[in-house]
Amino acid sequence: MYEIRTELTLDEKLEILSDAAKYDVACTSSGVARQGKQGYLGNSCPSGVCHTFAADGRCISLLKILMSNQCEYDCKYCKSRKSNDIPRATFTPDEICTLTIEFYKRNYIEGLFLSSGVIKNPDYTMEKMCETVRLLRTRYRFNGYIHLKVIPGASEELLYSAGLLADRISINMELPTQDSLTALAPNKNMKTILNPMNKITNTIARHRVSQGENARFDRAVINKHLNNSIFGPSNNNIPISDNHNGQIGIREINNTTTSNEGIILNDHSFALPAERSDSLLKRNFAPAGQSTQMIIGAGNETDFELIKTSQSLYRCFDLRRVFYSGYIPINDDPVLPSVGTPVPLLREHRLYQADWLLRYYGFHAEELLSETRPNFDSRIDPKCEWALRNLGDFPVEINKASYDALLRVPGIGPVSVKKIMSARRYSKITFPMLKKMGVVLKRAQYFITCNGQMLYRIPMNEQFILDQLTDMERPANLKISGPDNSFRQMNLFDDFNLSSTTSVS
Amino acid sequence: MTVYTCMPDFESMMTCIYTAWASGLGHKNIRLELEPVGQYTLMEQYIHVDADSVIVDKVSNSIITKISNHFYNEITYCLLGFEQDRLDTVFRVLILGFAYGAQALKMLHFKDVFRLLEINKRVKNESCLFRERLHFYEMEKGLYVSHIEPKSQILITLGPAFEDRMPSENWMIVDDVHSEAIIHPKDRHFYIQKLTEDELNFLIETEKNNDNYTDLWKLFFNTIAIKERTNKKCQDNHFPIWARKHIVEFQ
Ligand code: SF4
Repeated sequence: MYEIRTELTLDEKLEILSDAAKYDVACTSSGVARQGKQGYLGNSCPSGVCHTFAADGRCISLLKILMSNQCEYDCKYCKSRKSNDIPRATFTPDEICTLTIEFYKRNYIEGLFLSSGVIKNPDYTMEKMCETVRLLRTRYRFNGYIHLKVIPGASEELLYSAGLLADRISINMELPTQDSLTALAPNKNMKTILNPMNKITNTIARHRVSQGENARFDRAVINKHLNNSIFGPSNNNIPISDNHNGQIGIREINNTTTSNEGIILNDHSFALPAERSDSLLKRNFAPAGQSTQMIIGAGNETDFELIKTSQSLYRCFDLRRVFYSGYIPINDDPVLPSVGTPVPLLREHRLYQADWLLRYYGFHAEELLSETRPNFDSRIDPKCEWALRNLGDFPVEINKASYDALLRVPGIGPVSVKKIMSARRYSKITFPMLKKMGVVLKRAQYFITCNGQMLYRIPMNEQFILDQLTDMERPANLKISGPDNSFRQMNLFDDFNLSSTTSVS
Repeated sequence: MTVYTCMPDFESMMTCIYTAWASGLGHKNIRLELEPVGQYTLMEQYIHVDADSVIVDKVSNSIITKISNHFYNEITYCLLGFEQDRLDTVFRVLILGFAYGAQALKMLHFKDVFRLLEINKRVKNESCLFRERLHFYEMEKGLYVSHIEPKSQILITLGPAFEDRMPSENWMIVDDVHSEAIIHPKDRHFYIQKLTEDELNFLIETEKNNDNYTDLWKLFFNTIAIKERTNKKCQDNHFPIWARKHIVEFQ
């Protein structure tokens, strides 16, 4: 006879609920500086802390778990969806608190990342999540980092509580268009995602202004030197309209007024009684801002749609980060890539590179891609791709070029630019000096001169440079995509100038 | 050529710098080396220098007041490193610092400035690595202990970070290589203490008593990785193998 146990042990719950949470990638501990205080446990470091790296090479910073993997919804791409027959578990608030505290004291983690399936309904779930975090902040006196996922459709009052208790709150966008949401997440819609996102943005802005800070988050200092940055003064409040066939669902935000800092301050913040008990904790509303995640490769969205959406989210909603998660086929479903399809890792990597170009290099989505060229080249990175299309702007002279121009050179990043700008005040920069400053000459050599000279005599020819760069990047690309990925096939065809009737992408 | 040599602790190094400077032999005619000296040559004269705390204060004050606080910090970081040439590098950069002021650190065309920044970057990265990765175990109820084996003497740099993180806990970080520990009593300031061999051995023994949360952590660590994305190389790049010695998930 088998003993029937209804209660799972803590180990079993942890296994089920961390396994269910692992597909969420938005789990850094960055965005807020907070000092420790006596009697409490924890602090927060603005750049985030990676405590270890898992076997998939991803950083582990927070205890990333679901509160429960029971779910009333049936999103096609999700393992926890209602129609899947899998073991289900739910943590009690105390279990979550104890795990967080004990792991934190051992320096395993920087804090908690808490998400959940929808138990009963969004409000019930959100209330339980808030209860857990409230307990952690009060009875367990936890002062470290907390990232709370917002359940789309939960009431405003609960979202307000969530923001007062956590450092970062986020709503996953998952898919950039209403059409793909309808197809893959039938219980969700753009409105229940964008409305709260908008309100969170505005509530954060109001809290920041009341603290004497800029309504918008301060972006990387480098953006101050870039005239064209998406965070620059002229770009702060660019309303995003629906694109061509109403695909990208970010609507122009109505009734917007622009404050000095350029944030959209409107009536869309949480208007709730000031005496709400969570405000007695005297914490700022989501001081580390909000982020979101998009799944790559589950629907049929293009890279252009994705990065344009990200750009809009950064500009309009002042999101701290947009994360991209290559879809992992777990469910057998006719509308999804079949189980066993390789994860689009290289595509995900290109999107992250492009995202960096938007946030740190002063690029716009429209410079990188267009309707006619909607996807990134898998062979070379987006910056090289852009530079090759704009060879007329090169080579730039290292000893004279502006901040903007230097930053647009492939192989030169913000740190090297800073070093170049500082060092060239005292002496002429030479190629050996550039190398020591961390410039990747293998990439940069095609696009720069030092004191009027190129490193080697190189023809400024697009195809020639493309071939050189492709050869150079191949090992790195293979490392990312793995040997089974279609990327390798694409190169074989390209290399031998073969045309194939079968699709290889 | 006259070579000034000293032991690789902070006080001896600062005293050595002062003595070499004050020798009046001309900077081109002297070199500074750390003991044990690799190879003595007959052509050179070797002078050993011992630590003198009065001189250390004097040198430190003069760097801070005549150059800058930041300059002083950069020099101290460099001296915490393990690179054999760090002492001579600091000496050369100090000469530049007194000549050009704090901006000397921006003059990357001087090879010693470059070298100093290179060493500092490595030391800061190492300090950051241990701050992020070190693990505590509960030695007895309410006392958390951690063991590290750094290449550089970065123990001191960890104190403020953990005091801020866990102000109201009793904890201790033990540097097994340099036989030192940071000790932090609950709600008080941390201090550094040299450990005797017996103390160190005792502490090393206690590490074997795993506590309950070690297994839960390993379970979490293994479950959270997505097997379809396994990438050992990436993991190794981010978490150097040499730094995994006391890390529970890699045991
Ligand atoms: S709401 Fe959708 S994505 Fe979230 S747990 Fe439920 S099924 Fe999964």
